[in-house]
Amino acid sequence: MSLAIPVGLNNSTERPGERAPLVLGDTTYHDITETVCQVAERKPSKAWVIGFLIAFALLQWFGICILYLFYTGVGVWGNRSPVFWGWPIVNFVFWVGIGHAGTLISAILFLFRQEWRTSINRAAEAMTIFAVACAGTFPGIHVGRAWLAFWLAPYPSLNLWMWPQFRSPLLWDVFAVSTYGTVSLLFWYMGMVPDLATFRDRSKNKYRRMAYGILSLGWSGSSRHWMRYEKAYALLAAFAAPLVLSVHTIVSFDFAVSQVPGWHTTIFPPYFVAGAIFSGFAMVLTLMVPARSMLGLEKLITIRHLDNMCKIILATGSIVGLAYGTEFFIAWYGQVPEEMFAFQNRAFGPYWWAYWTMISCNVISPQLFWIKKFRTTPWIIVLITIFVNIGMWFERFVIVVSSLSRDYLPSAWAYFTPTWVDWSMLIGSFGLFFTLFLLFCRLMPIINMAETKATLAKQIHIAHMDEH
Amino acid sequence: MSDKNENKIHGVVAEFTSVASLLAACERVRDEGYTKTDAYTPFPVHGIDTALGIKPTVLPWIVLCCGLTGTATALVMQIWMNSINYPYIISGKPFISLPAFIPVAFELTILFASFGAFFGMWLLNGLPRFSNPVFTDPRFDRATDDRFFLYIDAKDSRFNQTQVEKLLADTGSDYVQSVVEDESPKKVPKFIVTTWITVMVLSIIPLLIVLKMRVTNSGSPRFHVFYDMDFSPSKDAQQNSTLFADSRAMRPDVPGTVSRGQMDLNFQTGIDVDKLTQIDPLGAERLVFAVNADVDPATKDEKPEAAPPSVMDTTPWLKENPREITLDLVEKGQQQFGIYCSVCHGLNGGGNGLVNRRAQKILAATWIPPSSLHQEILYADKYPDGKLFNTISNGIRKMPGYASQIKVEDRWAIVAYVRALQNSQNASMDLVPKAKQKDLEKKKSEIDKKLKEQAEAEKKAADAATAKAEAEAKAAEAAAAKDPT
Repeated sequence: MSLAIPVGLNNSTERPGERAPLVLGDTTYHDITETVCQVAERKPSKAWVIGFLIAFALLQWFGICILYLFYTGVGVWGNRSPVFWGWPIVNFVFWVGIGHAGTLISAILFLFRQEWRTSINRAAEAMTIFAVACAGTFPGIHVGRAWLAFWLAPYPSLNLWMWPQFRSPLLWDVFAVSTYGTVSLLFWYMGMVPDLATFRDRSKNKYRRMAYGILSLGWSGSSRHWMRYEKAYALLAAFAAPLVLSVHTIVSFDFAVSQVPGWHTTIFPPYFVAGAIFSGFAMVLTLMVPARSMLGLEKLITIRHLDNMCKIILATGSIVGLAYGTEFFIAWYGQVPEEMFAFQNRAFGPYWWAYWTMISCNVISPQLFWIKKFRTTPWIIVLITIFVNIGMWFERFVIVVSSLSRDYLPSAWAYFTPTWVDWSMLIGSFGLFFTLFLLFCRLMPIINMAETKATLAKQIHIAHMDEH
Repeated sequence: MSDKNENKIHGVVAEFTSVASLLAACERVRDEGYTKTDAYTPFPVHGIDTALGIKPTVLPWIVLCCGLTGTATALVMQIWMNSINYPYIISGKPFISLPAFIPVAFELTILFASFGAFFGMWLLNGLPRFSNPVFTDPRFDRATDDRFFLYIDAKDSRFNQTQVEKLLADTGSDYVQSVVEDESPKKVPKFIVTTWITVMVLSIIPLLIVLKMRVTNSGSPRFHVFYDMDFSPSKDAQQNSTLFADSRAMRPDVPGTVSRGQMDLNFQTGIDVDKLTQIDPLGAERLVFAVNADVDPATKDEKPEAAPPSVMDTTPWLKENPREITLDLVEKGQQQFGIYCSVCHGLNGGGNGLVNRRAQKILAATWIPPSSLHQEILYADKYPDGKLFNTISNGIRKMPGYASQIKVEDRWAIVAYVRALQNSQNASMDLVPKAKQKDLEKKKSEIDKKLKEQAEAEKKAADAATAKAEAEAKAAEAAAAKDPT
């Protein structure tokens, strides 16, 4: 059957009155199954093995550093008065931010019926879970005596006879991030069950069949099941959408509700959420563009997908840039001397280098995406998104460190210097992230086959209608 | 069609290769009146619900209940924990502060509702269910790949195997097959059961140990997994320590530390302690003691200012300011004098500050006017710098001591400034540099002239006023004399 699909793999051209195809080539349902399953079924490539070994080594180093921290105490970090939050919190906010794109792609784009999400949402959701795992590690170990981190939970303590302070944004944060992690996990797993059933039905090995059989919960593809499943999926999407906005809002409350100059601003919630989406999409692209060509997924993750994501990066990057400007305007307009100093100090104080790195990576580099050539050339996309990731890390560094290092009391001012443990933990957290992500690529369906097939079915249907 | 075994028939399944053919078959089967039917597809097929006659699910209502439970749980939990069981008393803030409880309530609503959607969906679908008769056919594996299956259950009231098989073949299916009972053993393999039981038993052991430790008493010290700060090492002065680079346990003094008894007493008290020791060794000892323990109320009476006045004269006061006299010092003294002294003594030291003027105005009965600093008895030769310093520090008559408010070095700066003030009012002309003497004299004569004119004018005015008053009095007298009544 002819699908009215343009020849070649570039589907980024807009044709008036025609829906651009999202699955390319003469692809059939079975081709989709084959393309996605071969990623997990074939022998691991050399690049995968090398990548995994590096990531796993970094993960071990991360673990060793955490043990060293437990054994010695938080003095191994560079956190000194007055910068007690330091890198652990910078890393926490960085990772939580990255963890926002997955749910955004899954939930918000789902609710807006953006069908191009189907081939990227699975990997993005997985990335969310792994990023939240990295994020959760940092406040966990930053509490100092990490073995008492369970004190954060409101449980009837026989030793303390008291409850957590529910008026504190730090406690809201505990609830927000743990709810977010749980709901993202449910959403991710639920979306994966039909595809795990595909894995089960294709496996030749008995144990593999058993393992995927248990994971897919006996999914048979029954239409009654699909009907409830789709309802549950839509409901979860409807919950995850406000949830994803609430989480980074509450993370921003950690700062905005305090009185530190440079933190105490009402712009923080929208500005943090935009930044989170910005960094999350950048991370998705950084991972998906190489994965797409290495795993042979060009027909499913098309140039149009990349183009669309670059447009979102451009939009959110501009919002973030506007927020930086607004902060300065409000600091001047408010005429509070400490606030005015805090922002002057950000741009021209001892951390000027961090500030201008942030500006050039976050505000200037995404503006290149106005040019279509840049949005459709994979290597340029990767380059720019890596800059965006760097910039977003620096944004959190600027917010946390430059504000804390110089607040109201000049006699307490100090310059923050990270130690080797700080560096190791930042790099080690990438080890955790990539170990999980590479395992996911090998063990789980990296593209949502069921939904992609449904998209293809719609495409066939439309093509069929055109013929008549 | 197949009769490879005689087992129970669960139903009949037919395979289709496209969505369109499946939907057509579904509609036909529905129109034939079959209700216990189902379709198995690799992805949700649009329109299958009506084609098969599937009713909507109750799932949203379950989710709504779960969500509301989440909201209620969060609010009750927070209000109970933070407002009733352990109220946080902070200023006059309300115990039940709803706005602060909203974020957690929101998160728990989402969490519970998501649990409802996730677990409710599996529950309604009857999953997990690992043994399903449709899985017995290897061809059915393609139901999760690219094939679509229509299934009619044997429980359907209209079910008749031959008829159903014919109907399905008529719909265009290439493959129609009866679904038979799963013959694979129903029992869970032994090794899985054994492993499961072993793990469960083993996992209980640590819990039992913890439980036993919680409920029994023990004479031996607590077992510490994490030392926290329970055993901070305490070192003696001469021991070594690994904490510091110089491996000394006893730390040297912080730079600028003054040990007890090592204070410069002359600087601190304004008394020449060497001379005092010669004259009055006991008094000197008392002074050292008093300075080093100035918080001790028992020794307060022994302070020099409480001694009889004669001591004030006999004390060997420092004759000169121990600080080097520079312009900076005098300016510092001027600033401090302006802050602390001028309110009573006046900016020029004449003893007519704002407080004094106010006291005079309201005729304060107990007010003793502050001294003018320009009296001869307060000049350096009669009232040495040390004594002046002592007065600032400890006060005199109604004047309180300023030792607690003004730093020692600043008190000496004030002494220097007071000397400058005294010079400014009463210095002899030869202290002024020759070059400036003429200017000064010229100014002085001008001012004198003005003052004289002013005085004359005032005198004239006063005389005129007196004359006028006298004239009026005379006129009144005359008037009184004239009036006969």
